[in-house]
Amino acid sequence: MSIPVIIDCDPGLDDAVALFMAFASDELDIKAVTVVAGNQTIDKTSKNARDLVAFAGGKCRVSVGASKPLLRELSTAEFVHGDTGLKNIVLPRADFDFSKEKPHEIIYEEALKNEGKIHIIALGPLTNIAAALLLHPDLKEKIGHITLMGGSCYLGNHTPAAEFNIFVDPEAAKIVFESGIDLTMVGLDVTNRAMVFEDEIEEFFNLGNRVSRTVGEILLSSLDFVREFGFEGVPMHDPFAMASVIEPDLMETKQYHVDVETRGVHTSGKTVVDVYNVRGLRPNASVGVDLSREGFVRLLKRLMKKYGE
Amino acid sequence: MKKPVIIDCDPGHDDAIALLLAFASDALDVKAVTTVAGNQTLEKTLRNALNVLDFAGIEVEVAAGAAKPLMRDLIIAPEVHGESGLDGPAFPPSKLKPSKRGAVEVIVDTVRKSDAKVTLIPTGPLTNIAMALISHPEIKEGIERISLMGGACFGGNWTPAAEFNILVDPEAASIVFGSGIPITMCGLDVTHRAQIYEDEVETLRKMNRKVATMVAELLDFFGKFHSRFGFKGSPLHDPCAVAWVIDPGMIATRKLHVDIETSGEFTTGATVVDYYNVLKKDKNADVAFDIDRERFIKMIFDAMKHYD
Repeated sequence: MSIPVIIDCDPGLDDAVALFMAFASDELDIKAVTVVAGNQTIDKTSKNARDLVAFAGGKCRVSVGASKPLLRELSTAEFVHGDTGLKNIVLPRADFDFSKEKPHEIIYEEALKNEGKIHIIALGPLTNIAAALLLHPDLKEKIGHITLMGGSCYLGNHTPAAEFNIFVDPEAAKIVFESGIDLTMVGLDVTNRAMVFEDEIEEFFNLGNRVSRTVGEILLSSLDFVREFGFEGVPMHDPFAMASVIEPDLMETKQYHVDVETRGVHTSGKTVVDVYNVRGLRPNASVGVDLSREGFVRLLKRLMKKYGE
Repeated sequence: MKKPVIIDCDPGHDDAIALLLAFASDALDVKAVTTVAGNQTLEKTLRNALNVLDFAGIEVEVAAGAAKPLMRDLIIAPEVHGESGLDGPAFPPSKLKPSKRGAVEVIVDTVRKSDAKVTLIPTGPLTNIAMALISHPEIKEGIERISLMGGACFGGNWTPAAEFNILVDPEAASIVFGSGIPITMCGLDVTHRAQIYEDEVETLRKMNRKVATMVAELLDFFGKFHSRFGFKGSPLHDPCAVAWVIDPGMIATRKLHVDIETSGEFTTGATVVDYYNVLKKDKNADVAFDIDRERFIKMIFDAMKHYD
């Protein structure tokens, strides 16, 4: 039986690959794609999301959400994702309109309709999810699970201490981590290792369909950037979060208590993971700590191949 | 020529071993020992320093410093070091008396009078060092380097994000890391790899030397705390800062920028290490990540042979 999911995202090169995976997967029943500002401004991320859903042949609602974090000004990651948010990737324009409902309405509606089973896969800053939780105080009991790409036990990427998605809206992240909802945190500890190596990129071109070729182009366009940081391949942050829902065995998790720093001068947006449980608090998240890289790449290829069928 | 050094400490089990390691070394000329509140109150850390030094027959000026951090209340660690701050062995009353001078005066005066630049080795909170730098900034010129035990690139020990020494006085740490003086940071990344195992503690005991036996008794107590956290042995945190000065080749470091968090809700006292150089700031510290553990343990054994 497939899992009813809502995908909240800010495409974003890696969000694009994650969406392609989701729409190819029989394991997921995608109820809606909700969009947030993050990797780029909301006009760009929502246009990209709609075009990506259309390109993948998806039929779900696409809803435009928050244009800025709850309390802060927006930081984007233009240096990673380019001016359009999809760098050099050009997609055909989608032939459908955005949903009239806001993300928080869709999330609430689907949470009720799916009777506690809805699984939210959050690939950007957590603004839309936090807004939904603030507007609907009873929502937290009605969401089945949230899997989020964000944070890390150890190092950050946007600052030395903070990962980008949490850094952009730490207050929203704090609301989500303190909500009591079953959470899986797919952070940099695993996603930095969910790499596609350079010599594996060719295979995506060889799969011979337009979606897999686009994935190949995305991987190629990210190579220079990641080489600058000494990575051996392209880390697939959002796609690995998606993979962990489609095939949970790909990721090993540990139960930890996680706090979100919102006040530090040098650490704002850091997920503070109590690895040794020195504070003795109850765990509030399953945190990804290890993965099968080969298994992930195999899944990515299997799903991309389906677009040729 | 021997390197002139000052050890600023808060003994503390691992501080005690750091002191013994330093005084046994032919490479170091320990000009003074200064104490600070940290692992225990100032009164206790001073007494412990005097007890250990006297027990080992060492004569040196020992000066008491700050009784509390620059801006915060003191945090102590009786869970790790016991009520005395040095639980385990019994010490006879020390014949060594504390200096009439304060720690800051001793640090400043020693640096001024030394022909060669002085290396500071702080193994506790950085309160005394920060006070010396605030009150006499000109001594920076006379300081070769600060090789300190504190912080971590990955994680913490007293809170999820902070190591104890930095957590106790983050403002002092911020002053030290911002001073421009070259820093070697021996944090948890390296000290958790500098463990002494139980059979090696037995080797110390079997030396049948008074000081080595005392060290084994210290480690019996120290090990109990660490076994609760799943450590195979006891991490010898503070001796790493001394070992680096004696034999830098033993410890692998990377030059990185480090900021100290002083205002986080959950992260105060974190040493924020810019591992990927995303900030592109000046690199102010050599951060230690690995140690040749066996060479390090041999160094400890050899040091013990120096004493009765």
